[in-house]
Amino acid sequence: MNKTSRHSSRASRAAYFFIAPGYIAFLALILGPLLYSIYLSFFNASFNLEAKTFRGLGQYLGLLDDSIFLKALGNTFKYVLVVVPSAIVVSLVIALMIERFGPRLQGLFRGAFYLPTVAGGVILSIVWIWIFNPTYGLLNYVLGAFGIQPVLWLSSPSTSFLSVCVVMLTYTIGQPIILFLAGLAGIQQDILDAATVDGVNAWQRILLIKIPCIRPVTLFVLATLTIQIFQSWETVFMLTQGGPSNSSTSLVFLIYQTAFISARVGKAAAMGVVLTVIIMIVTLFQIRMWREER
Amino acid sequence: MSGRNAVPVRSRRSVAMLPSVLGELLVKALLVVMTLLFLLPLYWMVSGSFKLQSITISVPPEFFPTRPTLENWSKLFKGSWPVWSWLRNSVLVSLLTSAFVVSISSLAGFAFGTKKFPGDKILFFLLLATMFLPPQVMFIPLFLWVRTLHLTDSQIGVYFAMAMPMIASPFGIFLVRQFAGSIPKSMIEAATIDGASERQIFLKIALPLLKPALATLAIFTFNASWNNFMWQSILSNERINFTIPVGVSFIARTPAFGKSVTDIGLMMAGGAFGAFFMVVFFIMFQRYFVKGITSGSVKE
Repeated sequence: MNKTSRHSSRASRAAYFFIAPGYIAFLALILGPLLYSIYLSFFNASFNLEAKTFRGLGQYLGLLDDSIFLKALGNTFKYVLVVVPSAIVVSLVIALMIERFGPRLQGLFRGAFYLPTVAGGVILSIVWIWIFNPTYGLLNYVLGAFGIQPVLWLSSPSTSFLSVCVVMLTYTIGQPIILFLAGLAGIQQDILDAATVDGVNAWQRILLIKIPCIRPVTLFVLATLTIQIFQSWETVFMLTQGGPSNSSTSLVFLIYQTAFISARVGKAAAMGVVLTVIIMIVTLFQIRMWREER
Repeated sequence: MSGRNAVPVRSRRSVAMLPSVLGELLVKALLVVMTLLFLLPLYWMVSGSFKLQSITISVPPEFFPTRPTLENWSKLFKGSWPVWSWLRNSVLVSLLTSAFVVSISSLAGFAFGTKKFPGDKILFFLLLATMFLPPQVMFIPLFLWVRTLHLTDSQIGVYFAMAMPMIASPFGIFLVRQFAGSIPKSMIEAATIDGASERQIFLKIALPLLKPALATLAIFTFNASWNNFMWQSILSNERINFTIPVGVSFIARTPAFGKSVTDIGLMMAGGAFGAFFMVVFFIMFQRYFVKGITSGSVKE
């Protein structure tokens, strides 16, 4: 008894020693900055912190009157509501198609669809700037062949939002496809065999067996994609700079602009706190959904 | 396929299955078309980098470069862009980030996965709770610290600053903990009875078993750090300090030599140059990427 307790105290001491570097980094680079951001959000401040003045909750009330902030907030929700469901549907359909091939080809397709994700949003946006060009872009040329008039994809408020969505979609489906394929491969073969014997056709097999079986994967994809799209900004930065007239701006892009272009640090921090709270609420909600699932 | 007695069954079935065989072929053909369409932007970028400026803005567009040119590439490499410095910066920052994340996470993940100690649940929960925080929220304070500490005054300081926001990795600790949890308790106990120190247990038993997980984490972090665009662009105020994504985006947003038209060919060469390294990296380590992605989705 005595011996084990002595041993376990030695083990505990070792454990604290092992987690120390990680925890110091965590406190210094995540928790500390987070708390400091919350503190800053109550001040009017530039990067010259000596000149900051206390503003209190007025900062947050000010955001409610800020039309650009409200636009960015609304757009961010719109991005989530458009891109997340489309990404889930598209990647699930593609995964179901890839699944019909042998393992070698599956790997090839999986890799092909993941390529844009590894290349990253910045690189992809570069080529899309050209594709979207109203006069010599590929997209208007192809649409022109069908008799459609040239569209100002990025420079008209009615299409800029959707154009950004399309580019976001191209580099967000890679990861869900991999997850769905893993989920589909995990469905027990005897369930599928039993269904075939019972005369279930291919469509029913997908809708009634496969999709319900991979529900946990779908929920996981939903959670990660939602958080990812809430934070999206590089496509906005590269393609439209939030414009025209803020039609495509997102919250994180606005935070970047407010802090690092306009140097209104306190206000940007407040926006960051709002985003954090939103993401926390969404995450908690999804964790609850997850629990009910079990 | 095999077994002679299966033949009559098969032939009877195959008549009924004819439409579904056709359907199967159609679905497969459709997927091939979709894949090609999906990769079209990347093709457009690479082929565009070999087109003359006059051709990049011609209508109708030229699908295959009929008169390929290396002009854009020579402009990229011989122009005023220090692209090789960008490459070096990207590689060093990503390596540094990976080294930090792997060493810190392996230590902490090992402890959380194999040991019980007072406060372990709370400490781990606190880490997990911040896993989904938007990193941009931390950027303002971190930027202030970088300035206060004058980190950007030295080259090594710039690299460290660029790695900074990713060093503390709740995901990394979580990932290692998952794998460390499956190390057999008996192995650790046996080693303890044999008088092995905690350090020896970690180095001699845990690390070898955690190797695949750590490789996955290293490769994943490398890619994430490479594409950590926002933070890198905030920090790099001089061209020589750019990383590849920052530099490439700078080229894309800079009109060519004072003209109002952007040099499309040069943009595409920059983009293709930027994409090249991560694509090769991905092809080399594809299975680690897949493992990293799928082990994030917890089953328990």
